[in-house]
Amino acid sequence: MEAIYLGIDVGSVSTNVVAIGESGQILTTVYLRTRGQPVRAIQEGLEQVVNALGEDIKVAGVGTTGSGRSLAAVMVGADVVKNEITAHAVAASLAVPGVQTVIEIGGQDSKIIILRHGIVTDFAMNTVCAAGTGSFLDQQAARLGIPIEEFGRRALEAKSPVRIAGRCAVFAESDMIHKQQQGHPLEDIIAGLCEALVRNYLNNVGKGKEILPPVVFQGGVAANAGMCRAFNRALGTEVIVPEHYGVMGAYGAALLAREMKPGASAFRGFELIGREFRTGGFECQGCANHCEVVELREGRQLLARWGDRCGKWSNAVAV
Amino acid sequence: MNNKMWRLGVPRALFYYYYGPWWEIFFETLGIEVIVSPPTYREIMDLGVSLAVAEACLPVKAYYGHAAWLASRVDALLVPRLVSVERKSYICPKLMGLPDMLRATLKPCPQIIDTTVNLARRPEEGLAAAVQGMARAIGVRGHRVELAKAAAEARYRSWTCERWGDTKGLETGNTDQAGERRYALPVGVIGHGYLLYDRYLGMDIPGKVAALGGQVILPENIDPQEVEKACRQLPKRLYWTLGRKIIGTALYLMEQEKVAGLIHLTAFGCGPDSLVGDLAERYARRRGKPFLLLTLDEHTGEAGLNTRLEAFMDMLYRRRSA
Repeated sequence: MEAIYLGIDVGSVSTNVVAIGESGQILTTVYLRTRGQPVRAIQEGLEQVVNALGEDIKVAGVGTTGSGRSLAAVMVGADVVKNEITAHAVAASLAVPGVQTVIEIGGQDSKIIILRHGIVTDFAMNTVCAAGTGSFLDQQAARLGIPIEEFGRRALEAKSPVRIAGRCAVFAESDMIHKQQQGHPLEDIIAGLCEALVRNYLNNVGKGKEILPPVVFQGGVAANAGMCRAFNRALGTEVIVPEHYGVMGAYGAALLAREMKPGASAFRGFELIGREFRTGGFECQGCANHCEVVELREGRQLLARWGDRCGKWSNAVAV
Repeated sequence: MNNKMWRLGVPRALFYYYYGPWWEIFFETLGIEVIVSPPTYREIMDLGVSLAVAEACLPVKAYYGHAAWLASRVDALLVPRLVSVERKSYICPKLMGLPDMLRATLKPCPQIIDTTVNLARRPEEGLAAAVQGMARAIGVRGHRVELAKAAAEARYRSWTCERWGDTKGLETGNTDQAGERRYALPVGVIGHGYLLYDRYLGMDIPGKVAALGGQVILPENIDPQEVEKACRQLPKRLYWTLGRKIIGTALYLMEQEKVAGLIHLTAFGCGPDSLVGDLAERYARRRGKPFLLLTLDEHTGEAGLNTRLEAFMDMLYRRRSA
């Protein structure tokens, strides 16, 4: 029976699961859309891992990351719960040894991580605005009636990309319509969008950061060849897209679980695929803050509560 | 006016976090009942956001909320017009206009004690005038005012000394601790006092850093003389009192080898901070001290903030163990 380590990344747009072996090699990867239902996505992800690897596996450790990491940790029984920055940095430095810059663009966030000698020395994430993220491309692709998968290829066909304002998705759209009305070919507009997003990224998230090669480009948006070319042009260096660019967060979480080497994993078993989990919420009336408390139940049993500022509810559950 | 009947409201916001004890003791010694609004909570914040002009910074919006909370409960509000609290230095101009902005906003508006405090040119005369002005506003003159001022100053001194003395992070860093975090890391958390000490508005960043293993050092924990000395590194003197305090603290902590990193908490829309924050970040980068800038506004989600803080503390631990 082979010992594996699981990494689960529950993001706003996608939920990814990666299984690695003792030596860190990737055994299987799963990429799913979260669709606002993290519990379902996690169960489906685990099911696909079992389908790919068979029943005869022993989970030696589990790491969770992403915005849904706390939920995933309680549900699955995690040994390590880590933020996305650390997870992505760990994965990138294993995939590309000596990496000095990590560009990560996901569905609703984007980040830059600066590493020197294998250690994170600086990082930044986008603030409330999602203009420099995958959702921006998704929206515009939908508006132009092009499947997002074709977006990158079409961008590469551009002869002279047009300049589009990338500060704000709303303004970019009016700019784009204007360019279409003027008669610019679609390819040039698509390439222009990629360049606008890169410009936005470098001016906001990448502001003031010392971007040195090797530069790794990961996250769902790295699938877009047009974005890669736009980064290559803007940075004057070839960005490296690792093989498993879409699931690097989950890969990092699995690596962190392996690094920790828990004596006995807290993993609650693949049986949880078939169990019924429910999330619910209520507004606490205990004080004037009216915290929105979220709870996770398995059948009738309460697994965890969070979201309260004072700890009245979250501490009441012994996990 | 019979001042026994008076109830004076002091908003627990902005400069309350710098001079609150002074004001309380001063007016109480003069026989006034002082009512301080409760620590910020959601309704106060919502009230402030709905009343204040959209361009105001987050702490000013909170101040509106506190003033509105007090308005129906007191006879008068203490909203001093703070122009300057020390020689050749000034307070943010947005704050100077608070009494006027509140009068235009609060309906009905209680009497507002808006004594001007301007110590920029002649600090001693300026202070005397401010104290006399506040006393006059409640109908008190003479010897009693001097006694109240002495009592207020004594309380203020002991309060600030308590805060300076609290430099655990610098003195005893690297103590052993159980669990994943093997030791506590001294981390400077800088920013305006009304963000750092307001646990709702500032999302209790100092508490969160401590929970992640940090030994928190705040600007008020450091001897002001050290802060002033560190400020002399700047090519030009900063004339904002709070800005100088923040940049001076940052520069001083950057020189302390034990300090693992700095976290700067700012409010969206803060004019002085947009310059001071960038300045601090540039110096930190040049000196290789990890620096995290956190900007708060009324839409800030706690999850995003937690992720950044966790990642930053992780980075500090991994750097130290490398």
